[in-house]
Amino acid sequence: MERAGNEAIFGHSGATAGYALAARRAMHTFHTGPETWKHIAVGQRKWANLNPSAMMHGRTMSFEDYYGSDWLVEPFRLFDNCLITDGGRACVVTTVERARDLRHPPAVIMGLGQHNPSYDIQQALHMAGPTGAKIAGQTAFEMSGITLDDVDACEIYDCFTYTVEITLQDYGFFKPGEGEDWFRDGRIEPGGSMPVNTSGGQLSEAYFMGLTPLTEAVMQIMGRCGKRQLGPETNTKRPEIILCNDNGGILQTHSCYILRRL
Amino acid sequence: MEYLKPLPKLNADTKPFWDGCSDHELRFQKCTECGHVRWPPSIICPLCYSNKTEWIRASGKGKVFSFVVYHKAYHPAFEADLPYVVAIVELEEGPHFLTNIVGCDPGAVSCEMPVDVIWEDVTEEFSLPKFRPAE
Repeated sequence: MERAGNEAIFGHSGATAGYALAARRAMHTFHTGPETWKHIAVGQRKWANLNPSAMMHGRTMSFEDYYGSDWLVEPFRLFDNCLITDGGRACVVTTVERARDLRHPPAVIMGLGQHNPSYDIQQALHMAGPTGAKIAGQTAFEMSGITLDDVDACEIYDCFTYTVEITLQDYGFFKPGEGEDWFRDGRIEPGGSMPVNTSGGQLSEAYFMGLTPLTEAVMQIMGRCGKRQLGPETNTKRPEIILCNDNGGILQTHSCYILRRL
Repeated sequence: MEYLKPLPKLNADTKPFWDGCSDHELRFQKCTECGHVRWPPSIICPLCYSNKTEWIRASGKGKVFSFVVYHKAYHPAFEADLPYVVAIVELEEGPHFLTNIVGCDPGAVSCEMPVDVIWEDVTEEFSLPKFRPAE
């Protein structure tokens, strides 16, 4: 706060408000808002309802519940926000050669990309995109030698609903402002054509920062996800390739990575 | 009445700005190499890395780049202000400045809305630059 010098003075504090500033600018720049974000909050909750480890496992959410949740920092309601979680996650990284002999089938890293616009929110011009996701995504896809059409599911860093929208938009799944149509009709939900955040994500499973998307992608590829397993269990495609990412600051750092079955 | 909200913490970079505020003047650093007017204050220009700098007086006019409406106070001293508006104002001279929009209903604020600076003398030492809809 002292660095920029004027945030606390004017009652500005925390990540919710920072991302809300970005989301508001996006509402102005292209057509988005709660009408789009409700599909993300509700869609991810349906995945959490299939995940016994999810904090929100036993609690359903309708569009009415979404609109009925309290404003925190407008344009964000409570249900646009991720959870706060105590816990831990771990992932073992080894060579493909060693992994071939392991008891569980491994997930293989196909490609990686990073891009960090870095400017803090007060000076940021990228808050309505393109964020770091654009170049990070291009780099990861280039290294992987695949295109968006090859992706079977996404595990996206979802500190807020808007973060999911701008990340998928910058990866190229839809054009700016076409998110509402893209998310409509359960595209990201169980049974949908592009499952997103299949554990419930940070919005509805648990907030383990970048490890929420990472561990879920690995577990899905291993086939260890029980009732929420991508495949016949959820009327979706058994995943060959999953697109994942992490994000930091207020859209200031971005890592994209693509995993596949061996 | 005691002022309970956070106040500016001055350092060698920021003191000229807050001294200007005491005089009800909005002052920013301008790079004399490339002309970039910057905020927050710093010893070098973030665009061209020159350390050649002058302080200029800004007009106090700008427009709302983005804004949010707080419905929850994250600091108890702001509780009585709810709902209040925090905005990034794009000043005529270029810098983006985080501040409050006052003097209108939060529902009346919009992106690109023209705004003018208004001074709030909160303590004997400090005046805060806030913004209201342009007349």
